[in-house]
Amino acid sequence: MAYVSVDRAVKFFTREDGSEMLVLDGVSFDAKEHGITCLLGPSGCGKSTLLNAIAGLEKLDQGGIEFRVSSAERQVMDRKNPKENSEPGTRNPELPGRSPRLGYVFQDPRLLNWKRVEDNLVFAFKGMKIPRESWPGLLEKYLSLVGLLGFRKQYPLYLSGGMRQRVGLARGLAIEPEILLMDEPFSKLDQLTARQLRQDTVEICARLGQTTMLVTHDVEEAAYMGDRIVIFSSRPAHIVEVVENPLEAAKRDLDDFAFIQFKKRLLQTVLKLVEQEGV
Amino acid sequence: MSSLDSITPAEPARQDQAIAVRREADSTSLATNVSFRRARAGARRETVRDVALRVASVIALVSIWWLLSLFFPPSLVPKPWDTFAEVGVIVTSGNFFTEMGATLRRVLVGFGLAMIVSIPLGIFMGTLRSLESFFEPPVILGLTVPGLIWAVLAIMFFGLTETSAYAAIAVTIAPMLAISIWQGTKSIDKDLIDMSKVFHASAWSKVVDVILPQLVSHILAAIRYGLGLAWKVVVVVEMFGFSNGVGYQVVRGFNVFSMKAVLAWTITFLVVMIVIEFGLIGWLERSVTRWRPRVEAWRR
Repeated sequence: MAYVSVDRAVKFFTREDGSEMLVLDGVSFDAKEHGITCLLGPSGCGKSTLLNAIAGLEKLDQGGIEFRVSSAERQVMDRKNPKENSEPGTRNPELPGRSPRLGYVFQDPRLLNWKRVEDNLVFAFKGMKIPRESWPGLLEKYLSLVGLLGFRKQYPLYLSGGMRQRVGLARGLAIEPEILLMDEPFSKLDQLTARQLRQDTVEICARLGQTTMLVTHDVEEAAYMGDRIVIFSSRPAHIVEVVENPLEAAKRDLDDFAFIQFKKRLLQTVLKLVEQEGV
Repeated sequence: MSSLDSITPAEPARQDQAIAVRREADSTSLATNVSFRRARAGARRETVRDVALRVASVIALVSIWWLLSLFFPPSLVPKPWDTFAEVGVIVTSGNFFTEMGATLRRVLVGFGLAMIVSIPLGIFMGTLRSLESFFEPPVILGLTVPGLIWAVLAIMFFGLTETSAYAAIAVTIAPMLAISIWQGTKSIDKDLIDMSKVFHASAWSKVVDVILPQLVSHILAAIRYGLGLAWKVVVVVEMFGFSNGVGYQVVRGFNVFSMKAVLAWTITFLVVMIVIEFGLIGWLERSVTRWRPRVEAWRR
């Protein structure tokens, strides 16, 4: 397992007229290893840009993103893969020359509509070079996890929006990533489906133990899902505060007093931010 | 987590509500079921009506022909059934198969060559800026050169050989195919390319799994236009002095001034094209677009 460290990330966007716009203004934070880190901030503040930079889809103008493996984990991995041990440089805990296995769940499902549900997952398996013999097991496991095992032979356009989003979720999870990136994955779903999927995702992530980073502008979602919540200012984005969730993932209950207290605190921080912008 | 599960018997009022909600849910699912079945039955009716409309259109055309034949001598407008009888002679004499076979072979080889060149060319032009700039002038120029000129050039260059027929057809339609695929490639979904990058799809997989499926409509349209053009060019090439093929037979009919023969060969040609268009390409289209629900924008 790896964790992500973002160090003074700076990113400019070039507008159509050629002028430059600062999007990320020296953003630094560490993602919580094995936990869910929520990137919370107003819409259009550059959270998704940062996520894309982590995924390698965008290049930062300054600063860097580091993937690390803690030394304890490294030893476990070394013991599991003695062959890897013999390669030069593998004792270095900083993942020399190997980028971690990344999964990405997009805001819109981004499925290949001409491929059946299961073939959309297989597309990711092929790209991630997952050995063919483990495909059936992974398909079964993750499609049933999102409740779509019965729809594996369907084409996406014959499914509902929520089901398509769940296919996207299954695809991100099924490659069993070390780092899972999620970009407002529930924002386009109806409230009940979103609620159910949030709960499922928290459970799945706790079980699989990968490092997860989730972009959201929904305070309740951040409070419910995030073990660590990184609050972004509006553009140009910098980090306002990094909040550790005082509640354990299993004990978070939307109707519980302690949860509501925490949510309120988070909301106040964000609201203060909005007010400051207004002045 | 679901709101229905969390209701306890201590809340009778809310339970009633829950039952009401549940009943509503059942009835809506029933409704979707029924409308689904109705939609399927509708689709079947639609195909029956489609076929009826197509048959009616053919009957109307033949009727107009028959009306014209009443006012003109048979040497100019022969009666439809006389012409159909001539078609029967052509088919039963076995002429049809050798001549049509020769023409079809020329079209398919030329067309295949054009596809092999223009699909990769179009994709590269749509994805690489430098190749787009480099290939744009020749492709646009190629599009403006009439097929007749390509036919003349090909025969002058290769002589009266099969090669000149293949070359003329391929060169005539390749620019049109390339333009269609080039423009289609420019309109593909960038988000899906990003998705394929995130999951480390190979270059081959990007083309086969992500880009080509988005080009299916463009490629199918290009195939239809391309075949239409290819038929025209092949007949011209064959008229120039080939000793077989449908074009040659039409010229022979012209030399003895037999309108019946010219029309009969034209009709056999049309029938073959219709079989290819509706049978082969229609089947191809249905099988590669099965994933896509049919757009019914005007049906309520």
